[in-house]
Amino acid sequence: MLKLIVGRIAALIPILLGISLVAFFLVRLVPGDPVIAIAGVEADAATIAALRAKYGLDLPLPAQFAIWFGQVIQGDLGRSIQTGRPVAAMLGTAFGPTLLLAGAALIVSLLIAIPAGIASATRPNTGIDFGVSLGALAGLSLPSFWIGILLILTFSIRLPILPSSGFVAPSVDVAKALLHLVLPAITLGTALAAATMRMTRATVIEVLRQDYIRTARAKGLSRAVVVWKHALANASMPIVTLIGIQMGQMLSGVVVTETIFSWPGIGKLTVDAIFARDYPLVQGAVLCMAVLFVTINLVTDLLYSVLDPRVRLGQ
Amino acid sequence: MTASMRKRIGRRGLVARNWRTLAGAVLVGAVVLGALVGPALLPHDPLKTDFLATLAAPDGRFWLGTDELGRDLLARVATGARVSLLVGSLSVGLALLLGTTIGLLAGYGGPIGDTLLMRAMDVLFAFPSILLALAITAVLGPSLGNVIVAIAVVYTPVFARLARAQVLVVRELAYVEAARAMGFRHGQILFGTILPNVAGPLIVQGSLLFASAIITETYLSFLGLGVQPPQPSWGSMLRDAIGFMEIAPWMAWYPGIAIFVAVLGFNLLGDGLLDRFDPRRA
Repeated sequence: MLKLIVGRIAALIPILLGISLVAFFLVRLVPGDPVIAIAGVEADAATIAALRAKYGLDLPLPAQFAIWFGQVIQGDLGRSIQTGRPVAAMLGTAFGPTLLLAGAALIVSLLIAIPAGIASATRPNTGIDFGVSLGALAGLSLPSFWIGILLILTFSIRLPILPSSGFVAPSVDVAKALLHLVLPAITLGTALAAATMRMTRATVIEVLRQDYIRTARAKGLSRAVVVWKHALANASMPIVTLIGIQMGQMLSGVVVTETIFSWPGIGKLTVDAIFARDYPLVQGAVLCMAVLFVTINLVTDLLYSVLDPRVRLGQ
Repeated sequence: MTASMRKRIGRRGLVARNWRTLAGAVLVGAVVLGALVGPALLPHDPLKTDFLATLAAPDGRFWLGTDELGRDLLARVATGARVSLLVGSLSVGLALLLGTTIGLLAGYGGPIGDTLLMRAMDVLFAFPSILLALAITAVLGPSLGNVIVAIAVVYTPVFARLARAQVLVVRELAYVEAARAMGFRHGQILFGTILPNVAGPLIVQGSLLFASAIITETYLSFLGLGVQPPQPSWGSMLRDAIGFMEIAPWMAWYPGIAIFVAVLGFNLLGDGLLDRFDPRRA
């Protein structure tokens, strides 16, 4: 197991190096001189030269990358042009709300997807199955920001019962925090539910065909026990993997959801930084989200090995 | 389960699948038709403002209502369909071209080229898709062309991985060996012999990604990084709608319905194609 973990982490090193190269060159590809962007078009030649030296922009690109990479490894992602605050600290502050939203969305998606997927799998080719399959396909086809807009239209404007934007920390007021969380979590969770629903249906159908299910039925076990205990336990592997993959993809969803609901997480921070042309912040956010994405995928991969001895033993 | 039951369920499953493919074809056909002839047939210009008819509710004159500048929403939704189809086809086409070339070269070439190309693809895969598209458009600047490039870059690794996997299987087959024995050059073998035999799954993947490309474009335009005003795009129309949701909710309904119909259509069609070409799902 240790060998497997070390191997997987070692395989990540070139990817992480590649990610840092992309993040580094992304900002260097921006048309125009970054120093003029910082100093303003009216800055004199001496100021520009001083700034160029200060940011190391007078050095050759490989040297610039080496310096930047050395700083990144030490957790120094530079300072935001807009606020002057360290980028790492800004990302750290935004991480909590994003984690809260992602966790809540995951719960919403599982509450929808698992029962619906099982209902569909246990009644294949019936009206329920057709409805669930069509619902899942519809869910995959609905852009999450439109779901968000419709939810705001219904629950914040027509029936003003839920706030349409903003964030309250649970440490300040739990009830208010939950109220603010409902619409963003449903928006993000619905989009995730569709794929999980399809995967649950497919794997449970597959498992229900196995011999041990027939044995369990022959033993006289109730339908509920057969489905929820025997079938779901054995169908959980691909579902867990999919959830892991989705956790990574959720990072894409949070960018849009946080923007609609003014949720102060990493997604909104990134979009705001893009519009403010705050390139150190954009660079830091892109790097941070990509590393997070890769880490989630690694954990999913390792979890898969822990859950399934065949993967662990290389069979 | 008796054989007759299995046969019956199998037939019903097949009918359900065909219905989905047919429904997909109808929806996609409607979107394509709307995009092609809609702007020409409709009475209103999608860009023409009418300050006497701002935020007008749907009625006999403006079937889907108007926006805050009095522009006809139906004409803008139809023109938005052109943008979505253009972005979908060009970005997926470009990704297909780039990714397939990279995958073919990686799968057919030596181990060094394979490692370098595929590690580069792994790096692109390591970014959440919307984030990468956002970052690229942020760097290149917001425009329709840059959105196409950004989406193409995001999807290139998908095609590269698929093409490489296919090549690894096909290159060992007898007809490739025969082509080699006949003295064909590498280029001829790669593009004349191998490519036609690996194209099927790549095209199916392309049809599935078409729907994702449309959604990504609407996301980028919604965030203000895609198509720029006054040109309409479904995403930017939804962005405009946010400020007027209380007084003109129709501004939010119709572009969203258009996205849903187009994406559902392409998803259904893609699913149908996958059923047809993937023996595991047949």
